[in-house]
Amino acid sequence: MLRIRKWGPAALLVAPSLVAIGVFVYGFLGWNLRVSLSDWRGLRATYDFAGLDNYRRLAGDTRFIDGVQNVVVFTVVFVAGTLIFGFLLALLLERGIRGEAFFRTVFLFPMAISFIATAIIWRWLMSNASGAQETGLNKLFDSVGLGFLANDWFKADSYWAVASVAIAAGWALVGYIMALFLAGMRGVSDDLREAARVDGASEAKAFWHVIRPMLLPVVMSAIVILAHISLKTFDLIYAMDAKSRKIETPALYMWFTTFEGLNFSIGAAIATLLVLGIALVIVPYIWYSVRSERRR
Amino acid sequence: MSEKTSEGRAAAAAADALTAELAGREPAGVRLDQVSKHFRGGVQAIRDVTLTVAPGEFVVLVGPSGCGKSTLLRMIAGLEEVSSGRIHIGDKDVTTQLPQQRDVAMVFQSYALYPRMTVRGNIGFGLRMRRVPKEERARRVDEVAQILGLEHLLDRRPAALSGGQRQRVAMGRAIVREPQIFLMDEPLSNLDAKLRVSMRAQLTLLHKRLGVTTVYVTHDQTEAMTLGQRVAVLRDGVLQQVDTPQALFHHPVNLFVAAFIGSPSMNFVHATVDAGAVSFAGVRIPLPPGSPLADGGRRVILGMRPTSLSVASEDGAPRLTVTPAIVEDLGDERFVIFDVDAPRVDTDATRAAVDAQAEDDALLVPLDRATFTARLPATTPVTVGEPMAVAIDPARLHFFDPATGEVLQ
Amino acid sequence: MTTTSETSTRIRSRWAPYVTTVRYLVLFALVCVFLIPVYVLLVTAMKDPAQVSPSRMWNLPDSFSVDTFGEVWPTLEPGFRNSVLMALPASIISSLLGAANGFVLAKWRFPGADVVFPLILFGMFIPYQAILIPMRELLTDWNMVGGLSGLILVHIIYGLPITTLIFRSYFVTISDELIDSAQVDGAGMIRTLVFVALPIALPAFAVAVIWQFTSAWNDFLFGLVLTSTDSWPVTVALNNIAGGQVVPFHEAMAAALLASIPTLLVYVLMGRFFMRGLMAGALKG
Repeated sequence: MLRIRKWGPAALLVAPSLVAIGVFVYGFLGWNLRVSLSDWRGLRATYDFAGLDNYRRLAGDTRFIDGVQNVVVFTVVFVAGTLIFGFLLALLLERGIRGEAFFRTVFLFPMAISFIATAIIWRWLMSNASGAQETGLNKLFDSVGLGFLANDWFKADSYWAVASVAIAAGWALVGYIMALFLAGMRGVSDDLREAARVDGASEAKAFWHVIRPMLLPVVMSAIVILAHISLKTFDLIYAMDAKSRKIETPALYMWFTTFEGLNFSIGAAIATLLVLGIALVIVPYIWYSVRSERRR
Repeated sequence: MSEKTSEGRAAAAAADALTAELAGREPAGVRLDQVSKHFRGGVQAIRDVTLTVAPGEFVVLVGPSGCGKSTLLRMIAGLEEVSSGRIHIGDKDVTTQLPQQRDVAMVFQSYALYPRMTVRGNIGFGLRMRRVPKEERARRVDEVAQILGLEHLLDRRPAALSGGQRQRVAMGRAIVREPQIFLMDEPLSNLDAKLRVSMRAQLTLLHKRLGVTTVYVTHDQTEAMTLGQRVAVLRDGVLQQVDTPQALFHHPVNLFVAAFIGSPSMNFVHATVDAGAVSFAGVRIPLPPGSPLADGGRRVILGMRPTSLSVASEDGAPRLTVTPAIVEDLGDERFVIFDVDAPRVDTDATRAAVDAQAEDDALLVPLDRATFTARLPATTPVTVGEPMAVAIDPARLHFFDPATGEVLQ
Repeated sequence: MTTTSETSTRIRSRWAPYVTTVRYLVLFALVCVFLIPVYVLLVTAMKDPAQVSPSRMWNLPDSFSVDTFGEVWPTLEPGFRNSVLMALPASIISSLLGAANGFVLAKWRFPGADVVFPLILFGMFIPYQAILIPMRELLTDWNMVGGLSGLILVHIIYGLPITTLIFRSYFVTISDELIDSAQVDGAGMIRTLVFVALPIALPAFAVAVIWQFTSAWNDFLFGLVLTSTDSWPVTVALNNIAGGQVVPFHEAMAAALLASIPTLLVYVLMGRFFMRGLMAGALKG
């Protein structure tokens, strides 16, 4: 009785949100799974059970497999590059530097603008036009005598294409990773650092032995966040060059096959695989975060 | 100077007005009836506590940290559910009532002042929640502010107050409600030592004036002894003894209470009773006449207060020759610490009680032997390492059963 | 701020001045490289349209001109207005609901709250591709596709995990005694939330609204799926203006800049809260 009176209002208050999330997240995920197991093609929804047909078809679909390879390259370049540069920036800013706020603001601002805007700028920077039409970075390289660096960027015929897109994505997110590292480094109490200094460690050694080990959770967070972003990124690639197979990832293929090809069941199957991929990194991460908070 | 007295007069008048209002209300008592609390996960925080607080009484719950005293208080407030048993406030069974339905006010250890409200807003919040009309609210807040000397701070935010001022605002928030019961959860523990002592005195005065039933929680036995009309000692969720400070000090019912109450702590030693006398470390102390322990021999734990030891004179009292190991000078008196050639008393009860007071003064002395503290006048000549004779007052001995820890009478 | 004063008093090694100089040089170099896109964006958008040609991309304009903005604004303006109409209610409502959820999950933990919270969090990370098909089906049924209402609804709902997390993290840090005290003072759950918790949570509110506003404004996928030409949000409009290779690139740049102004303004003016939103998004590192 006391229990109901105590928790009742609380439960009522969160109920609408819980129902909304229940339907729009879990209900929809289930619904999508069901579509992926159906034979729905065309505008009218049909839910006749087709088993794993759609998944089997994807396994033999070169466009899908190319997409998977692209997203792997994209992830590796994007995660590694962003992590390294983010860490480097944090390291440079870490010991109170004059104008830190300015530097932080500069490196973080791309987080505030849309991937569409980012893509538009970078598409022009990474243009592969030549001759009189040459522009962007290639033009810049030419005019400073670094012409040999000029290349086809995202129009290249190799994995370099998707890697170039990863550069643009890294530009957008490196500030975020820098901020994460900075927060992690600042989180180590000054006492600890000073204790290490008094114990005879140099500044560099104090960093290596005292601060670095405490950054492991930050690295984990950063990897998880970046990896899951790279799996779902859609707008950046779409606005860069929607038609190019060289940079197409499953996230885009899903869209094209569903809303242009009207192959709803195949699209749903791709989406389900995306969820699985993301759950693989995210679920352990959430579990770990919630558990370590409860321990505290 | 005259301003000061007029202020004082105003405060007195305000207090009188409040007293008159409170006098209109019948003070209510609290009755705990076999109250228990199990937490999820099986921990039992409170076991079968039965306790009656008389209307208008000031009762202190005291015990080492983790003994369940705060949980018990929060159960009276309605902040913790009762697993079994009943709680009555006045004649009303409030066991299943929510905190907002009970007529209690509480002062928290951290004061829990609402950061975004002014002092006025903080003090008036409880009245606002109970839909007291605006004018009455303003009048009562002003009244209480006057009693506590907060008038000039009414428009400040808590962040702009000192620790002592915050404490008074927290008090004011409780007083203004004119509740049936005050509950206080270590309200003085965040103050510095000096302020704590003066607030202690003010609390006693305030209680005398307002006469509201108060249940007060502390881990500090000095605070408990000075504030409480009665003191309830808790250990591991079990009520040990409820009595006046005098009775607790002179007639503890078990080893834990004996060790917990009093500073410095009571001295304990393993001893043997035989043929009308108790002996340890080569000393024989005749039992007082009529002691039920007189017939037959047995092993006991013997306890004596540091004040029942004195410098030996020639009056024939039993004496102990000791070598002082540490002398702590306090100005007008000194604590002399020495060890005694008898086994140390190391039971759960004594450890629990002593840990709570964080007195590790015995560490430097051999651990297998009993350590005594004597409280002697500062005029006593004592030199560390030089043997001296100490007399024991045979009338002030406490005997405990080594197996159960219960007092033997 | 305090760190700079500390640096000046700390005993430093002989090499410190050189190290600092090198550090500044590296930072400035990185800033320059990092700002290349911004340079291009600004100089292109501000050139006189007559002067623009791809080969002169890196040249500073001979004379400043805002004509290009004038050229693209009419086509961008409807999208811009749609985005304002969509992002404001979406971010405010989502934050209000998040505040209630965060309060309950932090301070009024009903039995089962420990299970519910991670389930809510997961919603923050799902790839939206996986809910597009059901979402379109359901919202078509509800007649909410083609206008702004559907878009607002999904931004509210998919914003709930992050706003809940932001508020929960915030409320966890306030003392339990404050909540207890409000109850003893006679406030129930709702009044404790309204009178005690929410007034303290203004910073969290700023963080949540800013974060939600930014992500709703910058969203593209939902806009693409749920709206028709009239109700395109600014990102979709921008992509359509600047998408083709035939579009003169100074117009593309000017449009991109215009479309980014609101979120950039928020970022510059409220950077501190923006940062906190970012940190919350990373759960607890």
